[in-house]
Amino acid sequence: MDLSKYAALFLAESREHLAACNQSLLEWERDLAATEPVGNLFRAIHTIKGMAATMGHDTVAALAHRTESLLDAVRGGRVAPSPDVVQLLFSAVDALTTAVGRVGRGEAEDDNEHGALLADLDAAAGAAAGPADLADQAGPADTAPLRSRLVEVVIRPMAPLRGGRALLALRRAEALGRVQDVRPGAHMFERDDFDGRFTFRLTGDLDDGMVEAAIRAAGDVEQVLVGDAVQGGSVAARRQIRVDLGRLDALMKQVGELVVARNRLADIAGRSGEAALGETSERIARLVSAMQGEVLAARMNPVAEVFDRFPRVARDLARDLGKQVRIDAEGGSIELDRAVLDEIGEPLLHLIRNALDHGIESPADRIAAGKPAEGRVQLSATRERNTVAIRVSDDGRGIDRAAILVRGRRDGSIGPDVTVLSDDLLLRILARAGFSTATRVSGVSGRGVGIDIAVTRARALGGTLSVTSEQGKGTTWTLRVPLTLAIVRALLAGVGDERYAVPIAFVAETVEFDARQVSAVRDREAMVVRNHAIPTVHLRREVGIEGNPPARRPGIILEVGERRAALVVDRLLGQQDIVVEPFEAPDGLPPFLGGATILADGAPALILDAAALV
Amino acid sequence: MADSPALHAVIFRVGTLLCAAPAGIVREILPALPATRIPGVADSVSGLVNVRGSLLTVLDAFRLLGQQRNGEEGALLVLVVQGRTLGLAVGEVRDFVELAPGSVADQARLPGVDPAVVSAVARRDDEHFILLNLDALVGPVFGS
Repeated sequence: MDLSKYAALFLAESREHLAACNQSLLEWERDLAATEPVGNLFRAIHTIKGMAATMGHDTVAALAHRTESLLDAVRGGRVAPSPDVVQLLFSAVDALTTAVGRVGRGEAEDDNEHGALLADLDAAAGAAAGPADLADQAGPADTAPLRSRLVEVVIRPMAPLRGGRALLALRRAEALGRVQDVRPGAHMFERDDFDGRFTFRLTGDLDDGMVEAAIRAAGDVEQVLVGDAVQGGSVAARRQIRVDLGRLDALMKQVGELVVARNRLADIAGRSGEAALGETSERIARLVSAMQGEVLAARMNPVAEVFDRFPRVARDLARDLGKQVRIDAEGGSIELDRAVLDEIGEPLLHLIRNALDHGIESPADRIAAGKPAEGRVQLSATRERNTVAIRVSDDGRGIDRAAILVRGRRDGSIGPDVTVLSDDLLLRILARAGFSTATRVSGVSGRGVGIDIAVTRARALGGTLSVTSEQGKGTTWTLRVPLTLAIVRALLAGVGDERYAVPIAFVAETVEFDARQVSAVRDREAMVVRNHAIPTVHLRREVGIEGNPPARRPGIILEVGERRAALVVDRLLGQQDIVVEPFEAPDGLPPFLGGATILADGAPALILDAAALV
Repeated sequence: MADSPALHAVIFRVGTLLCAAPAGIVREILPALPATRIPGVADSVSGLVNVRGSLLTVLDAFRLLGQQRNGEEGALLVLVVQGRTLGLAVGEVRDFVELAPGSVADQARLPGVDPAVVSAVARRDDEHFILLNLDALVGPVFGS
């Protein structure tokens, strides 16, 4: 049977298990007496070993085997847990990650590469582990007599590629003894109607517990019944398949086009006044909306996928910097479109690096300031209207506004009249490429590029970055991103004979602006909405349209984080789902133009970037 | 340029000038389309048009070449210049020609036209026309 098509499955699962290993190691490092992380580590490494051996990746299997031996020694109390052991296991997980990466790139395995590490693992395990005996999956060989028994295996209903998993489980069984009477036959594993349940007869000298453990090590095994217990039973099957992201992208793009065509059809139907056309148009509109919802849902993935990368990165950074940092995450189950998720990893990494390097103080400084030696970085995700806010908070020293003021005055980015740096102004200065107040460039951050990149990425996603900071208490960065990139709900606004689209995600409300009732806030025109003065932005002025609009006209209250502005327009033209379309942008495109789209009547329109207007 | 191979070109009018663009970079010739203005950019940018569901940034050949529009409807050339697909709003499209080697003269000075945007001046029948250097003509609009 050809295992090559399961290569992708092996890679994906090994990476997941290795990520879980990092999490367990971090947990264990914080509490060396804890036993649960050791158990979790053991199981993850054991599964990787089993999969690697089945697929014939000997280097990975050997590494996993020796790592497992050390873990087994710790679990059995023969080796005492210590920071050195944990560090050695971190190295082993890194080596496994490298080895799995090689497999992924189709490179030859290098048996000698990990020689020193293997020796260290063996030495730490205390006993000569001997060459990796890969057939021995579940501990020391048993002397049970050779016997034949019936085995039933049920693969988890949610498991991706159930057929491949079943095949892996069967391979594990074959390593234990003679396998006969496989039902349904292994060729049936590939079929759509295979429900993940199969039986076979196994003849070998292992006891039932060991058979079960060995088969379970294939991963995604829900149930293994050995011996007389084998009976039928029902498994609620929620059928799943893995889909290439490229297909979902193509589907999304087509649904996007369909949404535009639907809008156009509705427009034509409305104009024609013909009942049958109107009815058909409405029906199509409903179907397209439902389809759009399904495709969007299929693309959603939990934020935890990105969050889970950071604790290990943060731990290594903290070690390099001589700091103690604990990183916690919450809201990981909140979902974002795959495309958004892929883009937020890098900006978040910059923010975390900043927090570790500039925010969190050294243990001595923290104790002197009356804080616990271990600093905390909190990652969180929360839904806010049609956006998700991702926060990176630290309990460190906060941003030194005085130093930034001095530095900004020196390079001319802050006028001499500015005496207090607001959070907004602070961000604008920090986001300037190359700005840094770090007294030394640490190699971690401090070159001033991190915030610049984070702001640029946020804006490219149609999102925003904001910061609040309190000296001595800490800093919070908030990255707000839309749930999805492909289709945006927008409010259409008209000025003169032009139309502009304002993404609804940043529209708090619409109000009436009256030119005869304006006030001023710090020399800026403002309008009062429920006793709050909100600065006004006149779209006519921004886009350079002359003439005198009526005194009373609509104001769109834009809200980006804590900042608000009233965008004054000539008229409101309703809402539409719009698809952001690429175009060749001429030089000098104002920052408040965030993109372009095609409206229901087929005319192009520009999309306003709320973050650049407030 | 006597050794140059024959050159295929699209000939069009922009105000009083007769211009040519190498046929290899012309993707399409469309009737003029209404453009959505892009605020804040150079006057020589007409704006965005919708060509079968895709956005095309259109430049105004009249403004780029300092010519007066005389109310004509004109045409839209879809060109690929420096890897960018863009539109060029021109007057009437006259012809698609094959220029024999020798009919293309070296760069010559023409009154009122920036010599940088002229690749060569060619003659056909009794008319002279400008073979445009489109890189030089549209590059500055995109900051390159």
